[in-house]
Amino acid sequence: MILFAVGLGLVLLAGALGWALARHPSAADRVFMWGAIAGCGVALVPAISALAGLTDASAGADVAASATGGLAFGIDALSAWFLVVVLGAGAGIVAFGVPYLGSDSRQRRVRVAHLLLSVLLAALAGVVTARSIVAFLACWEVMALAAYFLVIFDYEKREVWGAGMVYLVLTHVSTLALIGMFAACAPGGVGSRFEDLRQAAAAGWVPTGLVLTLALIGFGIKAGAVPFHFWLPGAHAAAPSHVSALLSGIMLKVGIYGLLRMLALLGAPPVWWGWVVLFIGLASSVLGVLWALGQHDLKRLLAYHSVENIGIILLGVGLGALGVAYHQPAVAWLGVTGALLHALNHALFKSLLFLGAGSVARETGTREIDRLGGLARRMPRTALAFLIGSIAIVGLPPLNGFVSEWVIFRALLGTGSAGGSLRVAAAMAVGLALTGGLALACFSKLYGVVFLGRERDASLERAGTADAALAAPQVFLAACCVAIAVAPWFVISAAARTARIVVPDVSAVPVGGAPLAGASWLTALSVALLAVVLALMGARRLALRGRARRSSPTWNCAYPATTARMQYTASSYADPLLVGFGALSGVRKVRAAGSVHTEPMELVLDRLARPFWNRLLRAAARLRPLQSGGMRWYVVYAILCLLGLLLYLRFVALS
Amino acid sequence: MLRAILGLFAILLVAPIVPGIANRVKSALTGRRGAPVLQLYADLWKLWRKGVVYSPTTSIVFRLGPAVLAATTVLATCLLPLDGATSLVGFTGDLVAFAGLLALGRFMLVLAALDTGSSFEGMGASREVTIAAFAEPALILCFTVLAMATGRLQLQDMLGPPLAQAWLAAAPSLLLGAASLFVLSLAEACRVPVDDPLTHLELTMIHEVMVLDHSGPDLALVLYAGALKMTLFGSLIVRVLVASVAVPAPVALVLLLGGLALYGALVGTVESGMARLRMNRVPQILVAASAIAGFGLILLLK
Repeated sequence: MILFAVGLGLVLLAGALGWALARHPSAADRVFMWGAIAGCGVALVPAISALAGLTDASAGADVAASATGGLAFGIDALSAWFLVVVLGAGAGIVAFGVPYLGSDSRQRRVRVAHLLLSVLLAALAGVVTARSIVAFLACWEVMALAAYFLVIFDYEKREVWGAGMVYLVLTHVSTLALIGMFAACAPGGVGSRFEDLRQAAAAGWVPTGLVLTLALIGFGIKAGAVPFHFWLPGAHAAAPSHVSALLSGIMLKVGIYGLLRMLALLGAPPVWWGWVVLFIGLASSVLGVLWALGQHDLKRLLAYHSVENIGIILLGVGLGALGVAYHQPAVAWLGVTGALLHALNHALFKSLLFLGAGSVARETGTREIDRLGGLARRMPRTALAFLIGSIAIVGLPPLNGFVSEWVIFRALLGTGSAGGSLRVAAAMAVGLALTGGLALACFSKLYGVVFLGRERDASLERAGTADAALAAPQVFLAACCVAIAVAPWFVISAAARTARIVVPDVSAVPVGGAPLAGASWLTALSVALLAVVLALMGARRLALRGRARRSSPTWNCAYPATTARMQYTASSYADPLLVGFGALSGVRKVRAAGSVHTEPMELVLDRLARPFWNRLLRAAARLRPLQSGGMRWYVVYAILCLLGLLLYLRFVALS
Repeated sequence: MLRAILGLFAILLVAPIVPGIANRVKSALTGRRGAPVLQLYADLWKLWRKGVVYSPTTSIVFRLGPAVLAATTVLATCLLPLDGATSLVGFTGDLVAFAGLLALGRFMLVLAALDTGSSFEGMGASREVTIAAFAEPALILCFTVLAMATGRLQLQDMLGPPLAQAWLAAAPSLLLGAASLFVLSLAEACRVPVDDPLTHLELTMIHEVMVLDHSGPDLALVLYAGALKMTLFGSLIVRVLVASVAVPAPVALVLLLGGLALYGALVGTVESGMARLRMNRVPQILVAASAIAGFGLILLLK
């Protein structure tokens, strides 16, 4: 625990120094960046040792714990797993954020942003290690507020301010739900430790259904699950890119952590709760990717993909809950392991993609997909990293996204042989497959339109000057994705061990049904794939030896005057699919003389949340007359209130 | 192991014949002579010895596309139990890898098409991913039927001896699954009624228009991967149906090859009997394929 505290202290100190040294920006940048990265590294040591099984974390016991007053912190395997997510991806994000904001002319604001970034990282680490209610809620609130101030970095812009406000409201609804949740399960007040909670649950004092429903609302908002996702696209698009990466890659995962932590504390959940989580997961994954398909803004598109990936993770969580509730440890183990793996993988490849989007936006000055094109030639490193991230996020073999989707698919299909009503869950594999198919469409569109083909705008000719500095963190994250693809064994075994905190009894699971079964074949598959591709490339080169290799413009049906604007765009590419989904796709076609374009809408925000909010305001206006401003009326209210309380005491409380 | 390798080579070798049979049967049924059954071998050999033309717009992605497409299709073949008992590579959940490998090949081919910057190839790519988005759930649904009928999650068992027993208990579901796979295979192999391999107008093409700019060995790889993919889906269907009778492995391989010839003939017959569907009808036929498999699944759930 001391190492962990030192590490976090270092991160905070780096942030404070970076702020204090405002007179020497370049020195401050360097101090902040290397200090924060070093702090993350130091704090990772106890986490990794807990995951590697060097210290006994098998029974969910904390490897390291400390407590002062009501504040208690500890690291068990579950905390350690999410610490790796927070600090590992966090280090990459810090390394990108410093050069990304380095050329910003508003240096004072940049200093504050760096300080807030370190506070946010520390708060995130605090949330996943908190062991008492007050510690958890305190870190949670610091996290929410630090994230808010980072989101409104460009607060002069109207849409940024609006997106920040939606986020601020939603995050407090989330906090409120969590306070309610803890109030419902902790008779000992806010000072209660999680351990007291566990004992209360074991003794049957906790209304599990109510607590888990509130948890689903509170953590679901934070995770961005449908239908609570509508704060997410706006906030992610408004924030600076490295902050978007942090929000999407890391902060959403804290919601997942919360759900898993509550499951671990409360024991077997009610069956209906598992099904609800499973359906929310299914809806989030399919709708998230469908809505992503219609986007024109690079970062909004990626943000909707976060909704999709949270959905995939929730599928795993739901299967875990159902498996525990139906006494099917094999399904539960695979489900939770898959959820943990996908949480880590998503943190890696989504951070990578947001950083890539940041590079593109910085270099070209636009996030409009339809104005980009041909960037692979100008920003080769970013393009390569982005390609790796794209293949990973679509869940294609051999990269890490496939590893976790493979585990979740096994859990889904494994329900088929479980018997009972749980078997119905097997049919949901079709939803995950649809998600994969749509994600393929979406990322082929994104990568194809942004990085391949010809430049759609003459201004792109100048792009690509600062590719190298911004690309280093992306290459690091891409390397992590590849490493997991080549050696999934280590990661799966660590995740499987961690999952046992939520699914304690896995002794009945046969070896062939354990998460690790077949993992070494994945390595073989990735190596074989690489070998065959290289062999075919070699054969092709041999075949071409001595043959003509000509360069000639792309075949355009013998039409000579083609321009870059004739290429397929993001809108036209996605159109056939979106038409197929009708109104659900949330895209409106706007036709004018000689032109047609599509406008994506946020269906939940525009059609549900805003009308609801407006109606609420109108209803509240009816209460206006009560607020007359006359002092006598307020005296009357006070007396009435007092009377009411006295009557309550007399007839209810003391009878 | 040895048998599995033999089976793999047999399939890799005969793959170009399957579309040849389909085309020949189609020609015969429409009163033409048509190209020889072995035509594709000649085409591949010719293309392999030609030079290449690259557009200056293209990048490394364009050159990588065909190689990845062919490699993933070959690796997907390794996952099938071609002799009816063992596959070269098999592990629990490998059905996901099967679908994933084919998807990776498609992803890279689509990117290669977009790399040319041509609006025609963009159109082909857009149509291809549209069809794929509906084909992927259908494939997984068919696999789910097989997995639930056999209680296994490994293609080697889902299409091997356990399937023979499953036929006794769940024949209707498996028949529905096979029917769904057949419709799906027409989409995956780019045949009528989803796509027309013999079309000559760019605006009506799907798969062909994506590879307009590929030439020489690159085009040979794409054509070969296409034939192999058709053979793969044919093998899936034949395995599901043939598994209803338990036979020793060498016989199973012979049955598979015979079944593939029949499959080719069936595809040709379907093609001669109907025209290509309108583009916006294509997702509907794939949803119908999913629905067929879905009925099979419901029968299993009862």
